[in-house]
Amino acid sequence: MTLDTVALEIMWNRLLSVANEQQVTLMRTAFSTVVRETQDLACGVFDTRGSMIAQSMTGTPGHINAMATGVRHFLNAFPPATLVPGDVLITNDPWLTAGQINDMTVLSPVFRGRTVVAYFASTCHAPDIGGRLLSAEAHEVYEEGLRIPMTRLFAAGEPNEELLRILRANVRTPEETVGDLYAQAAANAVGGRGLLAFMDEFGLETIDPLADEIIGRSERALRDAIRKIPNGRYENEVWSDGFEEPIRIKVAVTIGDEDILIDFAGSSPQSRRGINVVLNYTHAYASFAIKAAVSPEVPHNEGAFRPVRVIAPEGSVLNCREPAAVASRHIIGHFLPGAIFGALAPAMPGRLMAGGAEPVWISMWRGQWPESRSPFTFTLFQCGGAGARATLDGLSATGFPSGVAGVPAEVVESLTPLIQHRRELKTDSGGPGRWRGGLGQRTQMGLRTDRGPAAEWSVSAMIDRIDHPGAGLEGGAPGGPGGFGLADGSPARAKALVVLRPDARVELDPPGGGGYGPAFEREPARVLHDVVEGYVSLEAAARDYGVVIEYLGRPDQLVRLPADYRIDQAATAARRRP
Amino acid sequence: MTGRRWRVGVDIGGTFTDLIVADDATGAFVVGKTLTTPGDPSAAIETVLREALERLRLEAAALGTVVHGTTLVTNAVIERTGARTALLATRGFRDALEIGREQRFELYDLTIQHPRPLVPRHLRFDVPERTLADGTILEPLDTAFVERLARELAERGIEAVAVAFLNSYANPASEQAARDAIRRAAPSLRVSLSSEVAPEIREFERTSTTAVNVYVQGRVERYLRELEARLARLGFDGNLLLMLSSGGVATVDTAVRFPVRLLESGPAAGALAAANAGVASGRPDLVSFDMGGTTAKFCVIDQGKPLLAQEFEFDRVYRFQKGSGLPAKVPVIEMIEIGAGGGSIARVDALGLLKVGPDSSGADPGPACYGRGGTEPTVTDADLVLGYLDPGFFLGGRMRLDEEAARRAIETRIAQPLGISVEEAAWGIHQVVNQNMANAARVHVLERGKDPRRFPLFAFGGAGPVHGDRIARALGAPALIAPLGAGVLSTAGFLTAPLGFDFVRSWRTPLTGIDWSRADGLFRDMEADGAALLAASGVGAGALTHQRTVDMRYVGQGHEIRVPVPAGPISAASEGLIRAGFEAKYRELYGRLGPPVPIEVTNWRVASSGPAPVLDLRIEAGARPDGPARKSSRRAWFPETAGYVEVPVYDRYRLAPGDGFDGPAIVEERESTVVAGPGTRCTVDPRGNLVVTHDA
Repeated sequence: MTLDTVALEIMWNRLLSVANEQQVTLMRTAFSTVVRETQDLACGVFDTRGSMIAQSMTGTPGHINAMATGVRHFLNAFPPATLVPGDVLITNDPWLTAGQINDMTVLSPVFRGRTVVAYFASTCHAPDIGGRLLSAEAHEVYEEGLRIPMTRLFAAGEPNEELLRILRANVRTPEETVGDLYAQAAANAVGGRGLLAFMDEFGLETIDPLADEIIGRSERALRDAIRKIPNGRYENEVWSDGFEEPIRIKVAVTIGDEDILIDFAGSSPQSRRGINVVLNYTHAYASFAIKAAVSPEVPHNEGAFRPVRVIAPEGSVLNCREPAAVASRHIIGHFLPGAIFGALAPAMPGRLMAGGAEPVWISMWRGQWPESRSPFTFTLFQCGGAGARATLDGLSATGFPSGVAGVPAEVVESLTPLIQHRRELKTDSGGPGRWRGGLGQRTQMGLRTDRGPAAEWSVSAMIDRIDHPGAGLEGGAPGGPGGFGLADGSPARAKALVVLRPDARVELDPPGGGGYGPAFEREPARVLHDVVEGYVSLEAAARDYGVVIEYLGRPDQLVRLPADYRIDQAATAARRRP
Repeated sequence: MTGRRWRVGVDIGGTFTDLIVADDATGAFVVGKTLTTPGDPSAAIETVLREALERLRLEAAALGTVVHGTTLVTNAVIERTGARTALLATRGFRDALEIGREQRFELYDLTIQHPRPLVPRHLRFDVPERTLADGTILEPLDTAFVERLARELAERGIEAVAVAFLNSYANPASEQAARDAIRRAAPSLRVSLSSEVAPEIREFERTSTTAVNVYVQGRVERYLRELEARLARLGFDGNLLLMLSSGGVATVDTAVRFPVRLLESGPAAGALAAANAGVASGRPDLVSFDMGGTTAKFCVIDQGKPLLAQEFEFDRVYRFQKGSGLPAKVPVIEMIEIGAGGGSIARVDALGLLKVGPDSSGADPGPACYGRGGTEPTVTDADLVLGYLDPGFFLGGRMRLDEEAARRAIETRIAQPLGISVEEAAWGIHQVVNQNMANAARVHVLERGKDPRRFPLFAFGGAGPVHGDRIARALGAPALIAPLGAGVLSTAGFLTAPLGFDFVRSWRTPLTGIDWSRADGLFRDMEADGAALLAASGVGAGALTHQRTVDMRYVGQGHEIRVPVPAGPISAASEGLIRAGFEAKYRELYGRLGPPVPIEVTNWRVASSGPAPVLDLRIEAGARPDGPARKSSRRAWFPETAGYVEVPVYDRYRLAPGDGFDGPAIVEERESTVVAGPGTRCTVDPRGNLVVTHDA
């Protein structure tokens, strides 16, 4: 098939719009806040060989790229001859798909007549899948919930009632978990409808040659971009707090002429707790990092995977063996892009970002409504600060590398008896640098006790970077560490179930991002601005940035305007003198 | 006001101020255009209105109403020229405005930035108070603190205060108490309450909306009072009304209270005009398509009404991309806007593919063919090279285009790198921008649950009719409809809007077991508010209509479906009807019903409106009713003809209803050109619209 560039551009855009329609339907019909508010999801369209051609606009890279590998497993297990129209397949097997038993991958073949011409897939984080409440405490995957092997969710359009009954009986949130699966199936179907209309309009019997062209172009563009990076082997090492002991992530990135090898040899062995990462997921975030670092503008598809080879020793935390516990694998997986950026920084000066909060903070809240005593389960997503860039401050309270959103306090409070008492940017949590890291947050959660006696409740917080904050880049300082504890000062253990008294208040402070470049090179006017805005305290301005700022107003003044501050030029010059 | 047949519509845009004066009785009208006067926008209105009145030999006292749309609010926000505004938030939540949704709107680009919040952090204050989701007041407002803060704010030159407390949508008492305290301590401060501006769940969106409202309020009030005074000096003593983003109109007093509802008030008029023209010509279902210099806008017109959305994003900082702007929870005619216009720049990207937009050459330097130093090829350059535009008849001959400059730009930037001819490159630009628009339109139409193949495309704006035929084909639309007078169409929309206002109350309750007397009371309260506001604008009780709707979903879902509720008392007997309405709508949108779980109602809405004015513009066939409609011919390039062919050029003003001809053809009017490609059939309908259909 030969395609002129204009026709190709047009058809390509159509495929993207079909994938976006799929995502829109998913979010509009989803039940859990995890999917509809947080958007912990991925949507994509695949050719008959199982190669991803296009993905929807947002979502999370871990899902998108792991789903892409997962589709191949589906195709091996269910060749087209075994499928009929209306079939919808499902699995949450961590080793085949997104590395976590909560992640449901749903695949629908698209039939044109009697022939399968494409597949639509989506992966969503289920609000609950039974087993232990999502945490890192399990020793084996069997404790983490119900594992669904690759099977039919719908057969010829009819729901697999046996499966749904088993599922409902095993999860704490049957309506949400099953409702989201209906949404995934509907989204795939809407995508399929759009694809068939597109094929009719352009008179296409198959999309495979179009896929080859699109994927080939993305692959070539990525290879061209790699060619511009100096060949060499670049190494880095970062640390996660881990569960029982810190986890080392060691990476060696070898830039070849037009391909990249990412080797995680030297990383910690697999953990006895649920923070292990399957190779699929390791590959997902490693290839995301290369895409974002090297050629963010090139459309993302199978072609973006081809120049990147990812290896990790079997039995390591980044390529765990069954039946390792994996529920909180994102804790480790989200470190990979930052680790790779850190390695590549000398090879790509000025183009990457400093280390940030990395793992999205996921906390599971479980308890009872005060009056009815009926149970509630809620998953809260929170984001710390991202790393600074070569010419920009880091994004405050914004997820990276994950693409998820937070949950409004009012949504939390309308669905549960939880009260969010605070949610604000945390002063001085952005790593100092010529460009400052993004700020983390200070948040506090409590339970309603105004409607009669409340019962015990619990939280399980899959969080990290309390002991190991995100590193700065090119002389920038690390971001502020995260914080987790009770308001009365008693500590709480991360990644484990914490049982709470009814009047307890839990503080969750997602960490800040690292700085970029030496802090003493930050323009004093920017430091002044940060002080006026309360992003940086007066003390930190002097200590970390060498900028001495005086507050000229009264101590009890509530309204403090820019005019109330002044840089002490002489003192600043003295402090900044080398 | 009865007996005054003349009404005025006036739109202040970024470049031009446009005006229409129409006679309701005869449909006669005149239009005017003058350069916008940014320093004192009402000056341009006076200029253009005086001119029109002179031409009509009318006194201003003969005018019944002036309906006005303005980009003042949008511009004040984008240019950050509003008041010095502070935010009072629940203790611990002053950063809601900056934390936003915590999400990157683009996955791979490491350099994205969020838009700057309207209120900087040093003017955002934590206030001791706490209201819970069910309206319970956990901690009463510390009024002494608010008074002290308000005094300080006023002393330090702050002009405006947004009050947005958590869960105030469920109980506004603490916000109201805060306003009282501010008034006591510092009566000069403007105050907006989130529970009045946007009483809906989700603190970020509600706070953002409230901040915009009070941020622009002073400017809007000064401007509107100045405009009132100017009009009064001219002798006008009728009603001055403002076009709202929802497509309704409101009095100056209401517009001053809720200026955030003026966002996008100009584009709303375009969509209304398209709806009105569609209804008049027997086509109540349309997709309106307005393409200008920098952007294109599409709007679904369903059964004669533009679709409404409840949220709008302004000041998008990243390629018009969703998520890159600031949210405003206001009822707004739902449009998709993309960076595709005559000035959109074409280039070859890293993949060797041809890309067009979203960046634009703007008015200065503008497309290469403007001859103002632009060297980058644009859509207008491509249209010129293809022969679709007449270099001597751009804007009716008021501006000459340089075809050689257009060719040079396309040759060096596109044709040579791609190894194709200049014409092929020009066609590529034309087609790529068309597909960009068609894709955006398709997703938009589908997201509204509509089938784009059922809706004719109604094209206006300077560039709309040039591109409409190909976009209609890409969408599979049954026809392209190009109205006569595409340039005056938008202003006509001002004269078709009913006086109206929308109300909403948040109250989440399962459908089974609703407290029906409370529901009945909610509707009645909102209808009473609507009646009062409309009565103040001169609408009699007999002419009022209230439309009730509820937002519904399966318990646990986050997105609602709007379901109509009948008028009159509601009771337990209404449950079945409402449930049936929900299920029918759900099936239509998503193919089948959701899982077997309960249904709930989240929002209760009333849209109150006065009678819709009837506008039947009598567009004269111009000063040249006689003579051949076919005025000339010129060379134009089409892929179907594999090169340039001689194409007939028709004078739009000489075409009469019933006329018909086959494409390829070009039809010219002063501000726009219709291009009908090979394989099309063009006919003039009884309303003077040019209808372009294509072979199946």
